[in-house]
Amino acid sequence: MITYLDSAATTLQKPPAVRRAVISAMERMASPGRGGHRPAMLASETTFACRQAAADYFHVSNPENVVFALNATHGLNMAIKSVIKPGETVLVSGYEHNAVTRPLTALGCHIKVARSPLFESQTILAEFERLMTEEVRCVICTHVSNVFGFVLPVKEIARLCHKRGIPFILDASQSAGVLPVHMDELNCAFICMPGHKGLYGPQGTGILLCGDGQQTHTLLEGGTGSLSAKQEMPDFLPDRMEAGTHNVPGIAGLLEGIRFVAGQKEGSILCHEQALTAQAVSGLSAIPGIQVFSARRPEDQAGVLSFQVADMDCEEVGAMLGERNIAVRAGLHCAPYAHESAGTIREGTVRVSFSHFNTSADVKRLVRAMSEIHI
Amino acid sequence: MVYYLIICRSLTYAQRTEAVLARAGISARTMRAPKAIDSEGCSHGVRVSERNLAAALMILSQAGLSPRRVFIMAPNGAYREVLL
Repeated sequence: MITYLDSAATTLQKPPAVRRAVISAMERMASPGRGGHRPAMLASETTFACRQAAADYFHVSNPENVVFALNATHGLNMAIKSVIKPGETVLVSGYEHNAVTRPLTALGCHIKVARSPLFESQTILAEFERLMTEEVRCVICTHVSNVFGFVLPVKEIARLCHKRGIPFILDASQSAGVLPVHMDELNCAFICMPGHKGLYGPQGTGILLCGDGQQTHTLLEGGTGSLSAKQEMPDFLPDRMEAGTHNVPGIAGLLEGIRFVAGQKEGSILCHEQALTAQAVSGLSAIPGIQVFSARRPEDQAGVLSFQVADMDCEEVGAMLGERNIAVRAGLHCAPYAHESAGTIREGTVRVSFSHFNTSADVKRLVRAMSEIHI
Repeated sequence: MVYYLIICRSLTYAQRTEAVLARAGISARTMRAPKAIDSEGCSHGVRVSERNLAAALMILSQAGLSPRRVFIMAPNGAYREVLL
């Protein structure tokens, strides 16, 4: 049996209802909005139920502002290309993923970076405030670092943006389903998230939450099942951003995933993951030669942690854990900005990340394996 | 049976409309708009019974949902626009 500790990439264990919903959708559902027959209407009902569930869970006033995407990267591309024009100046945190920085680079943007040492939320907030100057067209920030689990002070950053009239895009890839992500509190232009991580949906699902009245720019054009006599894309959401047939089995699974997290006691998933993180920090730190990157204050770190092993390549450690049926991720984690901020860009790190389904026994197996690997 | 069809700008808008009416205890059903009344190609509407139209429009107005157009389907199957 595998000990899966790579939920920051994708949660492998899903609630059983997710799998059942995917299979049922494949057997019974067609294309939403593309027919009046029962299979099409069933697909339409499921798609709407998922929009409504996401709107309720993330405190979005209107389910039309919930747009389905392929993943968080797709959502981020839609958001970035809706707000930012080529060559404009954008302010980001020093913990962004390539899903943010590569689209900005492709647009030829001037990227300003608010950096801080790991887990110093007040320092990074001060940097955001200092760098949020007149020419900044947009601020983009990850809620939780996908490498180190650093929880960024996004409420305060959102407040600064609001005060200065700068659109704010939140990357909730590691926080959706774990930390509170409330559109009505954050007043973001867009919030982007995967469906296949903390929301426990299948791969190939993502969500873009759009702020009220937010201008949107299409990435894809095509059939929407609406205004078909016209050659321009509809100007209303979600149709404007959803050309082509939806991933209905994925959305059906995502609906069950959202129902699952919404059904947990508030904060319980975060609490569980933080407890496992603390256990891992304690166990790994006790092994000589292992450096664990952990926060002093528990609230500064979610269920993701990185470590390095003296005189060992991180990929070698990852492979050795893999041989012992322990799944982790090594390297740069598509986040060179984060590694630059933490000073780990040259060596990379081994990353361990948790989900609701991990147990204390999983952490014990990891610590035991690392004791064997690094004698 | 005579019924009214509230035409909406999109499927999702129609589904929102149906949900708001259902919460208010008014039976409604999302359906594709007939081609004959659909000048822009492919749209959706919400079907409500004759006796519920006035209440439905009031509830939708309170919820900030405005129908694009409303049609009545006569017993002979023809649709006629209702001027609001």
